Amino acid sequence: MSELAVAVFAAQTGEHVLEAPRSRRFEQFRLSFDEVAYRRRLATAGFAWVGRDETAFPPRLRAIHDPPPGLFVRGDAALSLVDRPAVAIVGARACSPYGSSVGHSLARELAAAGVVVISGLARGVDAAAHRGALEGGITVAALGCGIDRDYPRVHASLAAEIAGRGWVVSEYAPGVEPAPWRFPARNRIVAGLSDATVVVEARERSGALITADLALDEGREVLAVPGEITSQLSAGTNHLLRLGATPVTCAADVLRAVGVSPAPARDSERLDERLEQVRAAVADAPVAVDELVRRTGLDPGPVAAALAELELLGLVVQAEGLYREVMRPT
Amino acid sequence: MLARTVTHALVGLEPRRVEVEAYLELARPSFSIVGLADRACQEAKERVRSGIASAELEFPVRRITVNLAPAGLRKEGSGFDLPIALAVLAASRQLPPDALDGIAAFGELALDGRVRPVPGALIAAEGARRAKVARLVCAAESGGEVALAGVEPIPVHHLADAVAYLRGTHEPPEPLPVFDVAHEPPPDLSDVRGQERARRALEIAAAGGHNVLFAGPPGTGKTMLARRLPGILPPLGDDEALEVTRIHSVAGVLRPGAGLIRVPPFRAPHHSSSAPAIVGGGAAAPRPGEASLAHRGVLFLDEFPEFARPVLESLRQPLEDGVVTVSRVGGRAVFPARFQLVAAMNLCPCGGRGDPAVRCSCAPDRVHRYREKLSRALLDRFDLSLSVPRPRGSELAGEPGEASAAVGERVAEARERLAHAPPSLDENASDLLTRAVERLPLSGRGRARVARVAATVAALAGADNIAPDHLAEALSYRPPRELTE
Repeated sequence: MSELAVAVFAAQTGEHVLEAPRSRRFEQFRLSFDEVAYRRRLATAGFAWVGRDETAFPPRLRAIHDPPPGLFVRGDAALSLVDRPAVAIVGARACSPYGSSVGHSLARELAAAGVVVISGLARGVDAAAHRGALEGGITVAALGCGIDRDYPRVHASLAAEIAGRGWVVSEYAPGVEPAPWRFPARNRIVAGLSDATVVVEARERSGALITADLALDEGREVLAVPGEITSQLSAGTNHLLRLGATPVTCAADVLRAVGVSPAPARDSERLDERLEQVRAAVADAPVAVDELVRRTGLDPGPVAAALAELELLGLVVQAEGLYREVMRPT
Repeated sequence: MLARTVTHALVGLEPRRVEVEAYLELARPSFSIVGLADRACQEAKERVRSGIASAELEFPVRRITVNLAPAGLRKEGSGFDLPIALAVLAASRQLPPDALDGIAAFGELALDGRVRPVPGALIAAEGARRAKVARLVCAAESGGEVALAGVEPIPVHHLADAVAYLRGTHEPPEPLPVFDVAHEPPPDLSDVRGQERARRALEIAAAGGHNVLFAGPPGTGKTMLARRLPGILPPLGDDEALEVTRIHSVAGVLRPGAGLIRVPPFRAPHHSSSAPAIVGGGAAAPRPGEASLAHRGVLFLDEFPEFARPVLESLRQPLEDGVVTVSRVGGRAVFPARFQLVAAMNLCPCGGRGDPAVRCSCAPDRVHRYREKLSRALLDRFDLSLSVPRPRGSELAGEPGEASAAVGERVAEARERLAHAPPSLDENASDLLTRAVERLPLSGRGRARVARVAATVAALAGADNIAPDHLAEALSYRPPRELTE
């Protein structure tokens, strides 16, 4: 029996179908479905189909209780997820600069250590994680629509970049439009592809918590990044921590959870005195340039220059006028 | 009986000589104006009739034909009132036969015969000078403008004054004195407390003529900073001042008695402005818009993303070429529009983003749509972009900042250096730039932009070469990630 027929049937009927239905309608569809021609069309579009029973299908995803019939894949055909550790990084779409910065650096460190970073291509934490991972290695985006839909549209170029080295995957056939009910279903793929799921920032009742629940259901590790207890955006993650999720304070925490040894520390260049001075002044809390000028006694020009160099070294980031130190790897 | 006066019509910023001929004949009394005169110009009949009567002169009971030559040029506005009245008076022998030789006239008549100023007197006077006309009869308020053009003004308050002067029985009043400093001085930078980064950016912008984008929550002083840019720019040179004054004269925004505009202009159109209001337009004949009024000065667009998309896009030509081309049925005009653009925006529609004291309630999609209005092409026009966070209370209570005069001196020196010996990238800075291009999302345009700003930073530091530190500082003014992703 062909899973591809099931997936395409699901796309045409607009239903969520995991197993071949025992209906006359499907039977008729199956008889008329020309799998060879369909695969050829996929290949022309640069897409591939990995069926649930094929060896290339990620075993972790096969192990969940409701695996999809297969995955439509856009991306590097040579990539195999079979024997690579993978971690999902998910969180709020309307995240804070803190969430975006942590998602970004965490993903970069994990990817550099050889972990595939899985997320959902949504705005906010998802996008930050994909971007961070692209700086260090490979990332996979799981969509709640066809892989040709580029949803949300703003991330079309990001999706193309991800597909350049990693995969953009979906259980839905090309052409399937995004629909609200498909996103929780997509989350089970994000969680299912991963050895562990890290929630970076989440409100109460956030989609990211659904992903975390799905991961727990499958017995996968769930980690959460602590946030300010006064911030709504931390309510979900703090709730997870109370339930026993592992707190993340550095990338090594996550690597330990999935049993990967950290990437060899990059030769940490010795910073000159001025850079060190400015970095130390940023370390406490996010701070504006004006405040740094007062704290360091330097002129605004040199402070700006130091900050730009620290940004280039990947040690600080800027958002909405405030500079903050990025998460340290260990 | 025929008489003739000379005046000048405005075509864009150019004067065109117009001869006003009045012909009187013994026939059924009537008054007609021919020669492609627009509505305002046709209505001159009523003003001239009433004005002449009010000046206790005689409106001829004749068939009067006034011809505005060349007939092919469209005449607009009320500046023809005075020359028409004078021609009619001369034709009816109420003025000496040669009284109008070597004299041009420009002005509107009130029903009681008073002479009112009309926009564009400076250009009409320049036309007179080019036509080798020595004197120009004009409204008293326009006297200063006319004198600027190097033509002797005969400023008059009333048609009767003009007639008395032409009859040789009356000296005109002195033109209002021309002061170079009659314009209000721009506000001073010392009013700005704290805001070290924004002040620094403003100084770099002034030195290099860079466009600046300020992003930050409301109430962080973005407008206050922008208003202080003209005060640290070098004053306009003679030619520049004349050019700017000319544009302001045509637009009718020149204050009576104020002389050449020496301080770079500052224009801040509201975000509801239409594209013609910004780049210029008009129903029939082209008029300069805000972009041209800001020529050699600062065009400040507050709430930048709230401007209509066509307005923002229409700024691309002036930003690129420094001119605006406006085509209308009444003709086509090219207005200079070499301004420095300063834009300010919130980080989200509600303005709460970036302000720790306020919770932003904007949905991510809404924030995205708000920022998306700034196309990448448009963002690329800003050499300097910076986020302006809310200053702390302690900063606002702090010492006043450095005064504009001191900053202006450094700006002038740096400009000098940039004009004569522009600093170039040294090897280390070049390496840094390459590293930055690899590491950051920096387009080819972005790279050029950073190098340009770095040259200005180096010039401000009095350096011959662009060192890595100068380049690093320039990098810190690239568009913040939240605006480009």
